[in-house]
Amino acid sequence: MKFAYYPGCSARSTCAELNEATHRVAAKLGLELLQLDSAICTGARELRAIDPVGFYTLNVRILALAEREKLPLMTICNTCTLNVLDAHAAFCEDSELAAAINLRLAEEGLRYSGATRISHFLWVLHEDIGEARLRELVVRPLAGLTVAAFYGCHITRPPLRYGFVDSRNNRALEKLAELLGCRPIDYSGRTECCGFHTAAHDERVAIKLTGQHILSAKRNGAQTMLTPCPLCHTVLDGFQREIARDIGQKLDMPVLHLPQLVGLALGLSPEQLGIDRHMVTAQAIYPGGAAAQAATSTDELSA
Amino acid sequence: MVDIAAEPAPRVGARRLGRVERHDSLEARNSQLAIGDPIAVRIRRFDSEAVGASYQDFQVPYQKWMRVLDALNWIAENTSSDLAFRWFCGSKMCGSCAVRMNGREVLACWEAVEPDMTIEPLRNLPVIRDLVVDRTPYERKVASFEPWIARTALYPGFPEPLTHKEMKDASKTLDCISCMSCFSACPVVGLGDLTDFAGPAPLVQLAQTGLDPRSDPGKLKRALERSGIFHCISCYKCEEVCPAGIPIVSRAIEPLKAKAAQLVPEMARHSQALRSIVAFRGRVDPGALVLRVQGFRALRNLPRILRMLVRRKINPLKTLLGIKTAAAGAASRLLDREARSP
Repeated sequence: MKFAYYPGCSARSTCAELNEATHRVAAKLGLELLQLDSAICTGARELRAIDPVGFYTLNVRILALAEREKLPLMTICNTCTLNVLDAHAAFCEDSELAAAINLRLAEEGLRYSGATRISHFLWVLHEDIGEARLRELVVRPLAGLTVAAFYGCHITRPPLRYGFVDSRNNRALEKLAELLGCRPIDYSGRTECCGFHTAAHDERVAIKLTGQHILSAKRNGAQTMLTPCPLCHTVLDGFQREIARDIGQKLDMPVLHLPQLVGLALGLSPEQLGIDRHMVTAQAIYPGGAAAQAATSTDELSA
Repeated sequence: MVDIAAEPAPRVGARRLGRVERHDSLEARNSQLAIGDPIAVRIRRFDSEAVGASYQDFQVPYQKWMRVLDALNWIAENTSSDLAFRWFCGSKMCGSCAVRMNGREVLACWEAVEPDMTIEPLRNLPVIRDLVVDRTPYERKVASFEPWIARTALYPGFPEPLTHKEMKDASKTLDCISCMSCFSACPVVGLGDLTDFAGPAPLVQLAQTGLDPRSDPGKLKRALERSGIFHCISCYKCEEVCPAGIPIVSRAIEPLKAKAAQLVPEMARHSQALRSIVAFRGRVDPGALVLRVQGFRALRNLPRILRMLVRRKINPLKTLLGIKTAAAGAASRLLDREARSP
C-alpha cells in the first residue's frame, strides 16, 4: 500500500519528531510513503484569507503531485488536511478557477484532474490498514494506559466537510486508542480549539484557551493526551509551562502525536519515536509506567 | 475549460466515526424516544445576582417530533409558569429562541429534544432572566460597524448591475437571522476583554454590506479597524452551530480579512509575513515567522526558546541563514511576488 505523503511545515520543523515517527510507524504498518519534498506549505490559515488564488494554487499543486504518481495523499496535520480538502472542493466546484490553476501548474508540467483521494493518517489507520490488521500488528498492547484524545478543530469541523451535527461525536481517536489497548477517557476539551492560529502574533489566546482542557484531561484521569495535529501539539506541549503558570496548577501532562502512540503499541521505543524530544516529559508512561508494564506482561506470556 | 474528473469515490467512513453510535443526525435523535417517554430536562434558572443561578429538574412526556421549544412550552404550561424564555416565529426565522442544549447552541424551535437535556442561556451575553439574554452588547457592536450601504461617489443609478460572483460571499451572510448562536459558541469572545475580537455574529452583519461591491471602502476600513478580526482562531465553532448554515469562517471572516489586508495592511502584518516566508523558503520556518511578527518582543520567551533548542525543536541557524527548502523555487514563482528575504 503506497501513499504520496505530505508532512507539512510543522512536522519538518518544531515537530520534526512527528515526521520521523510517521516514517517508522509506516514501515511497521507496511505503508510505503513517497514524501513530497517539492510540495509547498498549504498556507496555514493566513494565505487562504489574504490570497485565496495563491492558496488554492499551492494546495492543488500538492494534489497534482500526488496525482502524477497515481497515489492517494496522506497528511498528518489537521490544518493541512482541511486546506487540501477545501482546495479540492473549490477546484471541483469552480471550473474557471480550476482552469486558471492548471494553467499555472502547466508551467512545470503538472496538471490536476480532481482524482486524488485525501486521507489523514488517522483515517488511513481506520480505512486502509483496518481494525483487523492493526490488532495483528500490536505486539505491546498499551494495557490500561488512559488517553485523553484531543482532536483539534480541522479534522472534525466544519460540518460542511465532515458531516457532524455535533463535532464532539467524533470517536475516531478513541476507537483507535481502544484498538491499541488503551482506555480513552472522556473530558471537556476533546474537540476544543488549541488557539494555535493566532499564537504567532498573540499567544495569550492559546494559553488562556487550553488550560482548562488540559486540566480537565488530568482530573478525569488521563496519563497522556493524544493529538492528530502537530499544531495542537505545539500549544499543548510547547506552551504547557506557560499554560500551567496561567491557571496556577501543576499540569505535567504528556502529549503524544498519533503515530507515536501507534508506534509504542507496535513495539517501537520512545526514543525511536522521538517522544524524548517533547517539552513535557512522557517518562511517567514509560518505563515503569503502564506501557512498560504491558510490555513485560506480554513478554511473560510469550515466554 | 478543463476536464474535471468526477470527485473520487468518497471514503468518509473514518471521517465520521461515531456518528451512528452517538445519534449524530436528526433522524437518529427523533427515533430515540417513543411517545409518552419521560424526558429529563434540567434548566438553568436565574432571577437576580442577589439570588444567583441554580438548576431545576423537570420531566416532560415525549410527543412525536418534539422540539426543545415544545418541551419549554410544556413546562411553562404545566409546571413553571414563571419560566422565562424567548420565542416568536417558531419556524427558524426570527432568531430569538436560541439556547444551549447539552453544551451546544441550538434554536429551540428547530432542535429535536434529547432524552436528557440540560438547557442553559446563551453564553457571552448578560443573562436577564432564566434563558433570556441581553442582546445589547451585540447590537452596539453591530451599530458601530455602520452596517449599511452609503454611496459617497457617483454610481450608475438604479438598478445597479451586480453579478452573482461579486455578491457570492455577501449573499450567503444575508441568510443570518441574528440568533447569536455563533456569538455564544465562539471561544475567543468567551475570553472577554483579552482581545478586541468582535465575534462571529457582528462580523457576519458587517459582511452583509462590507462584502457588497457597492460598499464604501472608507466605511468598511473604519469598521475593520474596530473588529479585531485577526483574533479569529479559525475553530469553526460558529459554522458548526449556525442554524442558517452560513459558512461564517470561509465566507464572512476570511473575505473580510482579505479586505482588511487591502484597506488596513498593518492589521494583516502576520499573514503577510507568513506569505513572504513561504514565498522565499517554500515552507514556514516558525522561528522566522515569530521573529518577523514579534521582533525583539520574541525574546520575552527566551526560556522557552532555550528549552526548544535543547529538545532540537528549533534550528536558529536555518532561520537566520534563510535556508530554502526543495519547494522554494515553485513557491516564489506561484506566489507571484518578489520573494523577500525574511
